[in-house]
Amino acid sequence: MRILLIMVLSLLGCSGSIDEPVSYFNVETPRPFGYVNGDEIPQRIVIETRSDISLQPGSLPAKGRINRWLNLNQVTVKQTGQRYQIDLLYQVFYAPLEVKSLTLPGFTVQLSQGEKNINQSVPAWTFTLSPLRELVARQSEQGEYMRPDVPPPLLANTQALYGLSASLTVAALIATYLGYLYGCFPNRLRRTLFKRALRKLAGLSKADMEQALTVVHHALNSLNGQPLFLNRLGEFYRRNPEYLQINAQLGWFFTYSNRYFFSDGMIAIAQDFQQLKDLCEQCRKIERGSR
Amino acid sequence: MIRTIRHITLWTALAASFAAFVYSAGALYGIHRDNDLIRQLISGKDVAVNKVISGEPELRLARAFYFKRKHRYDEALSTLSLIMDKGDRNFQAKARYNLGNLYLEQAVQQAKAMNINEAMPLAGLAKQAYRQSLALNSRDWDAKYNLEVAMRLLPEMDRVDMPDDEPKNQKSQLWTTVPGFPRGLP
Repeated sequence: MRILLIMVLSLLGCSGSIDEPVSYFNVETPRPFGYVNGDEIPQRIVIETRSDISLQPGSLPAKGRINRWLNLNQVTVKQTGQRYQIDLLYQVFYAPLEVKSLTLPGFTVQLSQGEKNINQSVPAWTFTLSPLRELVARQSEQGEYMRPDVPPPLLANTQALYGLSASLTVAALIATYLGYLYGCFPNRLRRTLFKRALRKLAGLSKADMEQALTVVHHALNSLNGQPLFLNRLGEFYRRNPEYLQINAQLGWFFTYSNRYFFSDGMIAIAQDFQQLKDLCEQCRKIERGSR
Repeated sequence: MIRTIRHITLWTALAASFAAFVYSAGALYGIHRDNDLIRQLISGKDVAVNKVISGEPELRLARAFYFKRKHRYDEALSTLSLIMDKGDRNFQAKARYNLGNLYLEQAVQQAKAMNINEAMPLAGLAKQAYRQSLALNSRDWDAKYNLEVAMRLLPEMDRVDMPDDEPKNQKSQLWTTVPGFPRGLP
């Protein structure tokens, strides 16, 4: 019997909290003192409701003038599930002669459950407003003391400066790249001759030996500034002494090239192609300065 | 073909960025020139009206500032009224604050000369301008102070009475609408 009674009582206790339409209600306000004429006062109302209940936004105070000394500047409602966060921003315009107590008016928030309306009242909130001026204000030379005009601001040039520097940078970059494409930086081009030749060779096979030889010839000619032949290698080494270390490989290249282009029945084998690639890699190392 | 397209694209991009550079340089020069005019007006020298008409709102604000200093209130008012809705919130707040000052200064002068009928509407306009300025920027202490000056100059009729301070304010409920400041303590 006793156990039954406890069960009934606990069930009754549970049913009360489930039926509550508003499970959480709180009004958050800042300090209630130290305000002056023209200050803004924020007020936050947090309501959590049961799942089938919704807030009626029309029941909130309308933006604009509330009374002679109070304006409502902003009304924001943020909904997260069944949690409503209502932010109100009031602005007070009142010039008290001494510290004065004023009240933000209360209002009633309406919540609807189907056709049924539920009222939740937001209480009035009292705060104190202080004067900015003494009762008998000091006098300036012109008479009544008042704050002067705000000096006109100078025009901001930040945006124009950003535009100027950005367009100048882009123009300079494009001009540099165009210059590079038109060969205005020969030293830079000379340092990437074999890099480009290697890239081209990578896409070729021993079947494209003619093309491969042409690529290497072209790279050597560009480096030399004029067509390079076997009998002019001495002159080439005088100008580019670092290539003397691969003299044997260069000699093989010119001999092989002569035989390939001017002898009949020459068949390219994989070993020749690999040797050509090795030569090109050696040249690349020299041009990069790592050899 | 690809090479040609790449070159055409690059040349077009170069021309566009160069045009943007010329435009930005022109804009920068214009800003520099306008800032010189603003400095000139702040230092108390007038500038040609055609330079102001075609210029930025800041230039008009500077000219209104100049007119007010020279007590040429009508010209200052007509200059300010043209820029009320120009610029960002901060600029509009400044323009409204200076407009409020323009009205308040005249209201104070009229009240001093005991021209009550002229002073009252001017103080009302000043209050309105300060309220608008504070709605745009509630952290402007000068606007708060001057609004209080204007409110004291023209006290408002419907007093706000809290229930607990009734007896204390019983005597002071007889507010006068005559503008003016208290000249001595009781």
